[in-house]
Amino acid sequence: MTGGGGGRRQAIRGALLGILLASSGLAGPVRAQPFQQLASAADLQNLSIEQLADVEITSVSKSAQPLISAAAAAYVISHDDIARSGAVSLPQMLRLAPNLEVMQTSPSAWNITARGFNGNSAAQNFPNKLLVLIDGRSVYTPLYSGVYWDMPDVPAANIERIEVISGPGGTLWGANAVNGVINVITRKAADTPGGLLTLGAGTGYYSAALQYGGALDEDLHYRVYGQDFYQRAFNAASGKDAHDGWTRPQGGFQLDWTPGDEVVSLHGDAFGGTEAQAGGLANQQISGANLTLNWTHPLEENSALQFLTYFDQTRRAMAGGGAFTLNTYDMELQHNFSLGDWNSLVWGVGQRFDQYRITSRIAPDTSLIFSPAARTLSLTDIFAEDHIALSEAVQLTLGVKLENDPWSGWAAMPSGRLSWTVADGHLVWASASRAVRAPTPFDTDVVEKLGSVTFATGNPNFEPETVTDFELGYRGQVTPDATVSVTLFDSLYDDLRTVETTPATFIPLVWGNGMKGNVHGVSIWGDWQAADWWLLSAGFTAQHLDLEFKPGASGLLGISQAGDDPHHWASLRSSMRLGEDVNLDADLRYVGALPNPKVPEYAELNARLAWQLTEKLELSLAGFNLLHGQHQEYPGSDLIRRSVMLQTQVSF
Amino acid sequence: MRAARTLYGWAGLVLAVVAALAGPAHAAPSLEYAVKAAYLTKFIPFITWPARSFESPSSPVTVCLVGDDPFGGVLDAAARSARVGGRPINVRHLALPDAGCQMVFLSASDPELADEALEALKGKPVVTVTDSGMRPHGIISFVIDANHVRFDIDDAEAGREGISISSKLLDLAHAVRARGKP
Repeated sequence: MTGGGGGRRQAIRGALLGILLASSGLAGPVRAQPFQQLASAADLQNLSIEQLADVEITSVSKSAQPLISAAAAAYVISHDDIARSGAVSLPQMLRLAPNLEVMQTSPSAWNITARGFNGNSAAQNFPNKLLVLIDGRSVYTPLYSGVYWDMPDVPAANIERIEVISGPGGTLWGANAVNGVINVITRKAADTPGGLLTLGAGTGYYSAALQYGGALDEDLHYRVYGQDFYQRAFNAASGKDAHDGWTRPQGGFQLDWTPGDEVVSLHGDAFGGTEAQAGGLANQQISGANLTLNWTHPLEENSALQFLTYFDQTRRAMAGGGAFTLNTYDMELQHNFSLGDWNSLVWGVGQRFDQYRITSRIAPDTSLIFSPAARTLSLTDIFAEDHIALSEAVQLTLGVKLENDPWSGWAAMPSGRLSWTVADGHLVWASASRAVRAPTPFDTDVVEKLGSVTFATGNPNFEPETVTDFELGYRGQVTPDATVSVTLFDSLYDDLRTVETTPATFIPLVWGNGMKGNVHGVSIWGDWQAADWWLLSAGFTAQHLDLEFKPGASGLLGISQAGDDPHHWASLRSSMRLGEDVNLDADLRYVGALPNPKVPEYAELNARLAWQLTEKLELSLAGFNLLHGQHQEYPGSDLIRRSVMLQTQVSF
Repeated sequence: MRAARTLYGWAGLVLAVVAALAGPAHAAPSLEYAVKAAYLTKFIPFITWPARSFESPSSPVTVCLVGDDPFGGVLDAAARSARVGGRPINVRHLALPDAGCQMVFLSASDPELADEALEALKGKPVVTVTDSGMRPHGIISFVIDANHVRFDIDDAEAGREGISISSKLLDLAHAVRARGKP
């Protein structure tokens, strides 16, 4: 038995790719279908009997049909990984994924991307090629296709896992899955019974969270939670206090109803946030609320209907004027079924309305205006995918999604994926796929003024940015104790956004689609269960961006406007169980230098010691960025400070 | 330039296609059955058989599989790597269980055969395990509960056959028919 009283204490990452990804089918969120997985016998043998009961199997694979392995560069951050890292925010948790670039720029702001394009603030280019989902709810903003990372949050205790897929996932996952998908899946209410009080205090950081879960009826479980924290300001790049501390209370609930084989889940959250600003400006205020309904209705043996609908409101009032309110209404339906012995099909439709109103920032020196200030954007999609078992070992997945956005109309996103189980526990896969980043109001509607002069404008004829991506991967159990995943990728981008000029008058500058190019590289990660009590994990990504201006492009601001990405980064993580009640974790990361503007390479270390004093009480001491007093991760951004945090967790 | 760089993308596809056409096939069981196979070996430490069930303290625990094998070799592999209190685990595929089995898994493939085997094993110190969806149940019966593999235990029947099941396993069961209950 690897588990014992601590249950899930012993990390089980070796088994993760195999098992946790498999939980796609019935109970997962809509469109979490593609990851049915190989689970080698050795993987499952490492689980305790309690953990076996936690393994979700899919009805789709219930028949004699062999499991399909994920033909994608998918990394899973498990509940345990998160707990053992001491991470308290979503971006911090995402540092655990070796296939993501994660850069903190202030206490509340982060730049996160996969496969390059982390933006360039001087060129007003921000990371905008990721799809981020929380239980099927999309949280990237349609205003510019990026994520305001200070807005989405999920209590660490309630996250079941985070699936991080680098590479296009547009066919199945939804809009904006150009360079990757981050899929946050929360725990079922039945899995978090009782109360949990978490108190944290550390270097400029104080937090409190309280939650309670229970059963209202045999098949009706609930969970409610509330949390808040305060985080002190960092120092700005100049070394002076950046005055950007923040606080962010949030509360929410989940209600799971499981009459018979039906699974109905209703959940919602509401948050507010106050972010201080330098220069005596007013605080930035953020707030939001959302309500999601997810319903899975099994049909016969190998078939199910999933219905997802949500409402999401976010508001942001920026320092120095400018504000927006965004209401999103979304509805998605998906149907899985088998056709004969070889085909497993999934198809679906989705409709989203994004209704927003933007208050322009008008000031004597610079103004940022959106014209029109309010719109309702309609995004429609229809998709179908077929998993075809060519033989017992070879699976072919063909799919296409058609997406209709307000500016560019219908776009097709096809993908083909092939996986081959060369031997038990050894999988080779290859894929070819296409995805688009649809135009946004920031691309088409923006007007920037310097005094009364219109300096830059959006482009109503802005074209979608496109990527055609090829991947080749291997994933396997190389020894009974070690797993390895290798992905080679080569992505061809076209119509990337650039700054163009107006003929004769030069200004206003206008957005264009003047860049294309190629990004290729490799991602490698693996786990080694060095001993019963010791798990080592390592990750490495190297990538090369080879971009160029297209004929006729202005070339203004240079190629570096696309992003300031490291050429390579790596991580090494150690998870030790020292006796029954003590865990020691350490996470060393190295990020290569950013080329232009230059930011030096850095290495940093996080570590955490946790002691389960009694069954009900855990004490932990975590340290973040321990190697330096402060370091910088992105041009012009804050200096990230060394910090420690003492945390108490009481269950009742 | 670009052609060279995209080469490995295409090379990968071609390689995989060629390999797919030429390669050997290995049947993988569904995740459900891989989990069930893992359960079968992990039940054993929680079960105490009467001493007479074994020839010696080091003789193997024998798990017999009756009916079609839904595990595709996974059970055999799991058993090879497992050892319980000094005893290896031995897996046998049988048409009908015999006296040498300590645990018998009854596949759902042939309900009549399963009924027959259950009847034949009544009163013998053998832990019968029935697959999910089968009736009647063995001492342990798998159930699928909201996409998870769980198990019920008929402790009353175990008691009649001189088998003791640890309270820890009973706690983990989905449902238990306790001793002394009909």
